[in-house]
Amino acid sequence: MTATTPEGLQADVLVVGGGMAGAIAALAARAAGARVVVARRSPGATALSSGAISVAPHRPAHPDEPLFARRGPLDAARAVAATSPDHPYARLGLDALDDALAFAARELGGLLAPALERPRVLATAFGSAVSAALCQRSMEAGDLLAVRGPLAVAGLAGHLAFDAGLVAAGLARFAARGGPRAHAVAVDLPAVVAPAAKPYDLARALEAPGAAEELGEALRGVLPGGAGAALLPPVLGLDPAARVPERVAAAAGLPVAETLSDVPSVPGLRLQRALDDRLREAGVVIVTAAVAAGWAAPGEAVDAGGTPVRASAWVLATGRFVGGGVARRGTLFEPALRLPVQAAEGREAGVHLAARPAASLTVRDRRAPQPLLSAGLRVDAGLRPLDERGRQVHACLFAAGAVIGGHEQATDGTGLGVAILTGWLAGRAAAAAAR
Amino acid sequence: MPSLRALAYLGWRAVVAHPLKRAFRQPGTGLERFSAAYVSEGLVPTRTEDRAVGEAASACIACGLCEAGCDLARASPEVRALGLHAAFRLYSRSATELPLARDALAACAACAGCDALCPTGVPISRVVAHLHAAAGRAPRARAPGGRPAPQVVPA
Repeated sequence: MTATTPEGLQADVLVVGGGMAGAIAALAARAAGARVVVARRSPGATALSSGAISVAPHRPAHPDEPLFARRGPLDAARAVAATSPDHPYARLGLDALDDALAFAARELGGLLAPALERPRVLATAFGSAVSAALCQRSMEAGDLLAVRGPLAVAGLAGHLAFDAGLVAAGLARFAARGGPRAHAVAVDLPAVVAPAAKPYDLARALEAPGAAEELGEALRGVLPGGAGAALLPPVLGLDPAARVPERVAAAAGLPVAETLSDVPSVPGLRLQRALDDRLREAGVVIVTAAVAAGWAAPGEAVDAGGTPVRASAWVLATGRFVGGGVARRGTLFEPALRLPVQAAEGREAGVHLAARPAASLTVRDRRAPQPLLSAGLRVDAGLRPLDERGRQVHACLFAAGAVIGGHEQATDGTGLGVAILTGWLAGRAAAAAAR
Repeated sequence: MPSLRALAYLGWRAVVAHPLKRAFRQPGTGLERFSAAYVSEGLVPTRTEDRAVGEAASACIACGLCEAGCDLARASPEVRALGLHAAFRLYSRSATELPLARDALAACAACAGCDALCPTGVPISRVVAHLHAAAGRAPRARAPGGRPAPQVVPA
């Protein structure tokens, strides 16, 4: 176990950042036998995610033909790597992707539905559909390729964050391509639930005994004939142990799923909580504090909210702009270790672009590559950050997740997939380096 | 020559107009004169601390993660309706409306649990504490008719 001495925490691996990348890195290092400390300031972009894990979009199938996305995550990631040479998938290789995904699916087994050969095609709260390699159990029944019979899109009366008519009209486009016919219906909420509540308040209220059952009863009363599944807003409970989707489904008499979420994202919060719980179960010490290492190097003590932490190897998994791993103050910089941030512009990559004002790193054409959005650290094939001249910064310093640049992780549909792949690789490499 | 005219004007300002203005203006520092002129209208001076807090609050991306963990946001109807981010972001911009948020801000239990929930690192509890103090200092804004502006009554 991690030793707590008067001088602070002693560990083999210090992971900075506790989102998907940091948590997977910590769990992978722990599985390799290392003593691990996770220092993180707050939940990050993982808690704001849609709640499903997309590894790579199937590019020929997007965005108009999501139902043809039948390639597995590895094939789709290979296609991304072939067209984007700066993408972490291309720089790291994809040999470990299947193992990393299997590891993540195993660690989050209580939350995630078992993986399929093909991606699941899931509806968003705006009526579009995206493919995801892994999804939560609460979303599984909403897979557009698996729904048998008409799909009832159920809006909750008074809950304005979800427009069932919009979603049903959006999904109707896919009926001709093998998707279900979608019908919008309106359901009254149980009396104990305030319809104007924020999504997480609604989710919490539905966990109460009887509330989910009452919602299911009301849903059964308004279902169109022969409905194969019902799609609800993403508010089906914060705690998976409350089994809200299952209880609604049992009372309604048909499979029930929630859509993917916008922020504030209940499924995203659920994902972050599942990661936190798993870290604690695995015996990882979590310190809630920012780490300002300054010019320290792995092996030296760093201050995490007043607690000195000494670890032989570090994994930097601090995220991009939302997580705070890359900050923008005039120019781009990396606040924790002052590593050089690189901003690529097409094939012309380099540090010098990052020194330009951030506003000059965007391109007017929204579909064109945006150097600002793909800015981040540059790493070697072993995930060690590189300095301005392309040399590794330290043999025991690794990076994982969105802090690694080269891809527009917020929009290209590979964010959590990169986090899992790089987290798994960095965690194992850090555990090996610490020995 | 246009620059000659400009120089002459600057010289007039420096030698005649500005010394005259200094000689006849109201006594007191700039802050005192600002306060005398505007505090009765509900406009309080923006001090260095206020600006620092405003800058810290401007990192808010309105993601709502802080509210999900905030007992105040669940307990206080005004804050629940507005959103915690609105409570400090909107009000920190408007000194005249800050007193309207007095009751909502007073409901904060100062548990500081929100600080560890902000992905962009806004020191939320510090911002709320500062706004609470500022709301206590600010005079009640007066409506044009001379009556005090209506207060938000807790539901």
